[in-house]
Amino acid sequence: MILRLAWRNIGRNKRRTALTLAAVVFAVVLVVHMIALTTGVHERMIEDNVRMHAGHLQLTGAGYLEDRTLERFVRWTPELAAAVDATPGVAAAAPRVNGFALLSNGSASQGVALLGVDPVREGGVSTWPERVVRGAFLGTGEREILLGERLAEALRVDLGDQVLAYTVAYTLENAYELFTVRGLIHAPEPRLERSLALITLRDAQALFAYEGRVSEVALLARDSSRLDETSRSLAAAVSAQSREPLDVNPWPVVMPELAQLLVIDNAQNYSMLGILVVVVAFGILNTILMSVLERQRELGVMLALGLAPREIFRLVYAESLLLCGLGLALGLGLALALPAAVFMEGHPIPIRGDVREMSEMFGFTPVISWQLTAWNPALATLLMTAIALLAALYPAAKAASARPVDALRSL
Amino acid sequence: MRRLAALGLATAFAAAAAAQDARLEPPPAQPSARALAEQVEATFRGEASFLDATMSVTSPRLPAPRRVRFQSWDDRGGKRSFIRILEPAKDRGTAFLKLHPNLWSWVPRVERTIRVPPSMMLQSWMGSDFTNDDLVRESSVLDDYDHRWLGVEPSHQGARAFVIEYRPREGAPVVWGRIVAWIDPVKLAPLRQEYYDEAGVKLRVMTLGGFRAVGDRQYPHHWSMLPLDKPGHETSIEVNAIRFDEKFDAEIFTHRNLTRRE
Repeated sequence: MILRLAWRNIGRNKRRTALTLAAVVFAVVLVVHMIALTTGVHERMIEDNVRMHAGHLQLTGAGYLEDRTLERFVRWTPELAAAVDATPGVAAAAPRVNGFALLSNGSASQGVALLGVDPVREGGVSTWPERVVRGAFLGTGEREILLGERLAEALRVDLGDQVLAYTVAYTLENAYELFTVRGLIHAPEPRLERSLALITLRDAQALFAYEGRVSEVALLARDSSRLDETSRSLAAAVSAQSREPLDVNPWPVVMPELAQLLVIDNAQNYSMLGILVVVVAFGILNTILMSVLERQRELGVMLALGLAPREIFRLVYAESLLLCGLGLALGLGLALALPAAVFMEGHPIPIRGDVREMSEMFGFTPVISWQLTAWNPALATLLMTAIALLAALYPAAKAASARPVDALRSL
Repeated sequence: MRRLAALGLATAFAAAAAAQDARLEPPPAQPSARALAEQVEATFRGEASFLDATMSVTSPRLPAPRRVRFQSWDDRGGKRSFIRILEPAKDRGTAFLKLHPNLWSWVPRVERTIRVPPSMMLQSWMGSDFTNDDLVRESSVLDDYDHRWLGVEPSHQGARAFVIEYRPREGAPVVWGRIVAWIDPVKLAPLRQEYYDEAGVKLRVMTLGGFRAVGDRQYPHHWSMLPLDKPGHETSIEVNAIRFDEKFDAEIFTHRNLTRRE
């Protein structure tokens, strides 16, 4: 009965109802899309960073992140490799030796981070193999090295030339090896490109006298939203295989700067959303209040006829809820239909021009992507319900508290 | 680790405070810190010196200490020095030549010369707890630091010791925040040096002992370097022979000598 009354009431002033509905629909579409866009851009950033080098998860010797020395290592035995590969949720694993060396050619020399990678496994986790701009990625050859383009320039070497690597091995002995330049790589950062060289895991273990050991194992997860779970099963799987204590760290621990950046960005986006929601809430408050004030006489008559104030309260509330519910339904429908109509999902928008160059420099795919998760419509629904409940509170209370005599006399 | 460093810092402050009131008696005739530093430098390095020494590196990584025997020709005045490794056999012939401001290293096994860039100066020398910078110190204890008298410690390792502080001057090519040195008042030789970083954290301690007469001076024949940030690591140097005021052949400090085969 109240519902029917409410339905008729919102149907009475069609123009006002349409405008309010439009505000709600617009707000819903905006909420859903803003979050989808943020999520899309963030997920892309995470994925780019993860694939650049770090991986979703890293398996290291205990305490390696705080003290990146050769003393903290993982014994990369065939048994451990098998255990890692068999862990549910692990898509790929790449063992690495992270060392430091002086590369030298004639009077040119440069201190570099010397990275030993497994030529077969590395491509499963990171995009290093794709970042070779000249020459080829590491293979089965012995004593071959990949240099950052700028590093090769600084050392004045080209493909096929030799460079001398000079370092202190795990045994604290001086270690030297001549390497042949097999390829040049493009690194996301100029600074990194000047100070990074890749060799095979086998050569790195020989150079650093690091038999069977690796510094880290970078892992790519099948499902990046279930890292905790994968992390736990991995820790359980490897603990049985290793004599030394090991750490499993997810990317936010390995790359805290990125995690913090995303938190800040999220805070900004959500405060913008908050402001938007408040604006919409006032719009709805205005509509309902107007309709109540307009119907003072009518509500007075209803009270005089014996309708309880509680029921008047419910009536106004029902109107608000109906309005928001209708707006929500239309808004969600539009929000979900829109991306399908304009091919947003799975079709990122490419960026061009200067911004493209900049984002490539930092190693990001120059696209704006859009990603809808179940969380978006849920959040929109939650917000709209909250708005409907809050915005109707004052008008409903006002309508219910009116005295019939005053209400009738006021007109 | 950080907590440990903070603890070290707190202890250092406490020690400094204690030194202010109780432990240090007022100096009878306080020598100038600068004059002390000059005398110590003269005792310790001299103008031109030849050194034959054996270095032992202790590390949790190694089942037994790694021993490296080397000879060094140090020409302070000419800002040049030369070092050749004699043992272990694997590294025999490896040599270092410093011609200010460059440092070169010769690697006989691959027959290559490497120029060690300034950025590598704080890297370990031959796997020890000494750095390349310690080896061919660019900075001058006298010109790059201000010297300050801290007091007298009545009983440092059982004897009286002057305590002075070295603070780097503005813009000096120095890697330490400050150095505190304990000096034997009679031998005018360093007994202990503590190295602090710019944040005031004590990073390493060098102790010197085994004094023996060399000419008219008392020279420490045993040095030990303890890096405080690397538990279980220690490097000691036993001096086999030391000669001061040598007349060096200019041929020593050449690339030809660097790449010489024995």
